[in-house]
Amino acid sequence: MATQNNVIQYGKAIQYQLSQIVDPVPVYAAFNRNFANQPKFITWMLRNVHQPVYTGQTQSNKGIDRPVFQISIFTQQIEDGFTISNQILQALHGYSGQLGSPSEGFFIAKADVMWLYNSYNNEENMAQIFLDCTIDVPA
Amino acid sequence: MALINKVLPGYTATLWCQDDANPTPLTDAQLSTWASIEAIIGTSAGGLGTAGIQVPVEAIPAFGADDAVAAFSVAGARTGAKITTQNQVTSLSITSAWNPADTAMLLIRDDGYNGTIVRTYVVAVYDGTDTVAYAFNGMVGGMSWDMSPSAEGKFNFTIHPIGGNSYGWSNNA
Repeated sequence: MATQNNVIQYGKAIQYQLSQIVDPVPVYAAFNRNFANQPKFITWMLRNVHQPVYTGQTQSNKGIDRPVFQISIFTQQIEDGFTISNQILQALHGYSGQLGSPSEGFFIAKADVMWLYNSYNNEENMAQIFLDCTIDVPA
Repeated sequence: MALINKVLPGYTATLWCQDDANPTPLTDAQLSTWASIEAIIGTSAGGLGTAGIQVPVEAIPAFGADDAVAAFSVAGARTGAKITTQNQVTSLSITSAWNPADTAMLLIRDDGYNGTIVRTYVVAVYDGTDTVAYAFNGMVGGMSWDMSPSAEGKFNFTIHPIGGNSYGWSNNA
């Protein structure tokens, strides 16, 4: 039996945790073209929130959640992007413990970061790096 | 403190053992007493970490008791019965990523060489606040190293529980 986790808490925790890791680089929940004049910033996007459901009429007969949030790193200097990715990998990959602020965060059993790829956006004149982070959330 | 009331992923489980080269294993009564167990569990899993060390296993194998029954059947009759007996504690077959300098692995390896050292092991399940612990006394056997070139080197070993009653549950609640 498991309660359904609150995605607002997920969002707040991700925002807080990423801000702590890459401080003072700004962190946003979604990309806005106006950000493109900033030398470096990060956006995140939460997806695949899903607790498996099991047999029967009891709604709380569920398992744990393993959502993924994608971290997109935008920088004018390519090297800055790699530096920020490294900060995130060092802090988050394999991490177990409190995700988010002490008051609004929650415990995660494990964080698993997959460095996807780097790229360059000619229109924005910004280098990009994309990472996926899977978190295991007891519920 | 409340007992953990949530569904936990396997990642919340960790394996700990006494850190002395020649440990004095806990008594049967102590194995189910949190005040005795918490010294072996590290602070990262809600213990004190004063007398224990973490064994860096890849995953905690299933643990508990082996299936055992006394069965009888009667010739010429359609019925028989299976009567549950007190089972022996399951052996834990463990896989670790092999790091030749890891203190816990060297301890396990020395136990395996020795063959007679009985050590207390604890599986701790932790939700960030509270801990549930399964403790047992065991000896190390069946050590093997797998240096397959297509994956990380693995150190496999089995912990064989000692005595039919040398295990216990406890928690910090």
